[in-house]
This record gives sequence, C-alpha cells and structure tokens, in this order.
Amino acid sequence: MNDKTMSDSIMPENKMDDLQFRRSIYADPTSLDKDIIAAQKADPAKKQLAQELSRLDEKLKQAMKVPVPDDLCNRLLLRQTLASHQQEKRKTRIHLALAASVAIVAGVVVNYLQFSSSYTNLGDYALAHVYHEQNYFSNDDNTRVSLTSLNKKMTAFNGNFSESMGELIFADYCRFDGMKSLHLVFQGLTDTVTVFVVPKKEHLAFTDKFSDKKLQGESLSFKHANILVVADKNESLSQWQSTINDNITWSI
Amino acid sequence: MATKQVRYEALVKALHGDLYRYGYWLTHDKQVAEDLVQETFLRAWRALDSLKDEKAAKSWLITILRRENARRFERKRFDMSEYEEASIMDTQSTSTEQEIENDWLRDKIAKLPPEYSEPLVLQVLGGYSGEDIASMLNLNKNTVMTRLFRARNQLKDALEKEPENMRLIHE
Repeated sequence: MNDKTMSDSIMPENKMDDLQFRRSIYADPTSLDKDIIAAQKADPAKKQLAQELSRLDEKLKQAMKVPVPDDLCNRLLLRQTLASHQQEKRKTRIHLALAASVAIVAGVVVNYLQFSSSYTNLGDYALAHVYHEQNYFSNDDNTRVSLTSLNKKMTAFNGNFSESMGELIFADYCRFDGMKSLHLVFQGLTDTVTVFVVPKKEHLAFTDKFSDKKLQGESLSFKHANILVVADKNESLSQWQSTINDNITWSI
Repeated sequence: MATKQVRYEALVKALHGDLYRYGYWLTHDKQVAEDLVQETFLRAWRALDSLKDEKAAKSWLITILRRENARRFERKRFDMSEYEEASIMDTQSTSTEQEIENDWLRDKIAKLPPEYSEPLVLQVLGGYSGEDIASMLNLNKNTVMTRLFRARNQLKDALEKEPENMRLIHE
C-alpha cells in the first residue's frame, strides 16, 4: 500500500476515506458499489480519479487485445476434425471387427444347423428326405436313367448292379444328412420308389424297418454302405430288397 | 454427435480469441499461447459433455488453459519469467500512433509480476468480477483486489514516470 496518497482530511466514519476509495477504485474502476458511486458524487477529485482509471482501463483493454492469428480458428476446427476422424476410424474398425465376428458366428451356426443331424436314425431321415423331394418326382415321369450311368455313379460306393432293377427315373448324388449318397428314384406300382445308397457312418442309427402313415421303408446293411428303400404301402419292400441284394456286387 | 460438433465449433469461434490472448498474457509468447489454445480445445472436446452451462464455458476453458500452462512448467523446468522483450510483440516499424501506444502499454503490462498481471487481464479483458477471478485463481477475494490495486498502481506510476505517455490517460 502506498502511503503517500493517504488523505489528510478526516472523513466521517460512515463515509469512505480517500485511502479506501483509492484502493477500491484502483482494484475495480468500473465498480458499481453504491459507496464508491456516492463518494465520486461527493468529491470531484475522486470522480476525476475514477474517470482517469476508466480511461486507463480502456487503453489497457486495447493493448491487451493482441492480434489473434487469422487462421487459428480454422486450425483449431481442423485439428479437432482430424482427431475425431481418427476416433471415428478406430470406431469403424471396431464395428467392422464386431460385424466380422458376428458373421463368423452366424456362419458357424448355419453350418452347424445345416450339416448337423437333427435326425437320430436312418429311417427318420430317409422319410423326411423323401417327403422333401416328393414333388420333384412323379411315377409318370418319362425320363429314364440307364444301368451304365447308374453304375458309373455307383463306383463312388465301389458297388455295381448287374441288372436293371426296374424303371429308373432319377439317379444322382445327394446329401443324405450331410453324407454324399446316391439317390435313386424308380417307378413303382402306385408311386415312386426311392432307394438311397448311403455310406456307413455312425451318427445315424441303423433302422432296418421304418414307416409312418403313408410311407414305409427298409434298410439293408452291407459292408461299406446301407441301402434304404422307401415306398408307399402298396409296394413290397422285401421284393425290392431281394432284387437289390441279388443284383449288387461290391468291389471291395 | 452432430450436436457435440456444433457446440464445439460455436465454442471455438466465440472464444478462441479471448483464450489466445489470455494465453499470450500468461506466457508472453505467441507460439506457446497458440499451442496452449490447441491443447485446451482438444481437451475441451474430450470433456465437452461435462460442460453443462454454456455461460460458464469461458471460465471453464480458462481453467483448462491455466492447467495446461502449469503442466508445461512441469514438463520443462526452466524459468520462463526471463523473456526477451523482442519476443513479446513484433517490432512494428510502420506503426500508427495507436499501435505505438498499445506497444508501450503491452510492454508495461508484460513487466508486471505475473501474480498482478493475471488477475488484471482476467478483469480487463475477460470482464470478470473480483469474486469470479478469486474462484478461478483459487485465491480469496481480498487478495485479488489487492493485486488488482497494485497492478494498476504500478502501471499508473510507470505512465507518470514517462511524461510523454501522460496523454494516454489525460488526453
């Protein structure tokens, strides 16, 4: 505190003395304190000091307003945009990774559902398979498959039929519960007769006879394959079985 | 996301100048001031959700900037109070009278002890009250008012010692 400016005049107690006024007005020239305002009104010298300091403040304000670099604003915005773009990219990568994981899991699940057996035995699967494809074949189909081409397909199972076993409408490989099998469709008495040549695998239990309300089926077990015959109830399955049994030869 | 971006842009546009100037008076270095402002706004972006009251934005940013400045001293422990006067402002060979005045005053403000100049800048440039400054600088109000008094006292003394500048206050 600077004592030299201390006023000599003694002010009444409730009025602001010079020192107090000086301290206040120097600390805040724009003060709206009512005592300060009142003191200025009462004393022209105080008012002049206040105005002087206000002018000084105005000058100070001008001086403090150093020029701001023109492009600072843009640089700030750009830097933030770049920074959050990096963040976005990181997020995108995470999202991509998540999406990939989900896709992989989905793929595995679909694969599992598609190729895992929901059937526990040969008969159930054979019936389901026949029902699934029953609309593709009709007993009146005129297409015929020759014994030669049938035997060509049978080589995959190391088997061979010596004679034709009937009117063969269709013969091709198919997936029999995930196993590559041969699917034969013969003309039957009233409806098609389906014969499956299925490699021996343990995940489907062997069932020698099976049926439901409409279809019946029988399985023959050979060394390397099972042969299933599925037909409607008018068909004699045992006759089919013995024909197959008589005709087939296995090369190993 | 979009609203955050909009808020941020508004903050930058409205306050980068004040903040830069505040940083300048804190550091007396244009480049350092700019770096501080960059750091401050980057931190502000990350913490933008914590800013609830837009009216408090400026003092919030100033607080961040002061903290960044303190961090700068932690990083490199050299004394920044000794600066070359030439680095304060560019010497302007072709200056208007107003600019000469400003330069002269800037020099005087820069020569104030930092504990005096900081509240003065906050008051004059920032328009903050004694209470605001006290809470921003973690001081009590009386201390702030005393420092403001001393700051102006010193500036006025300096002006009076150089009669050719008396017109600054008496014109």
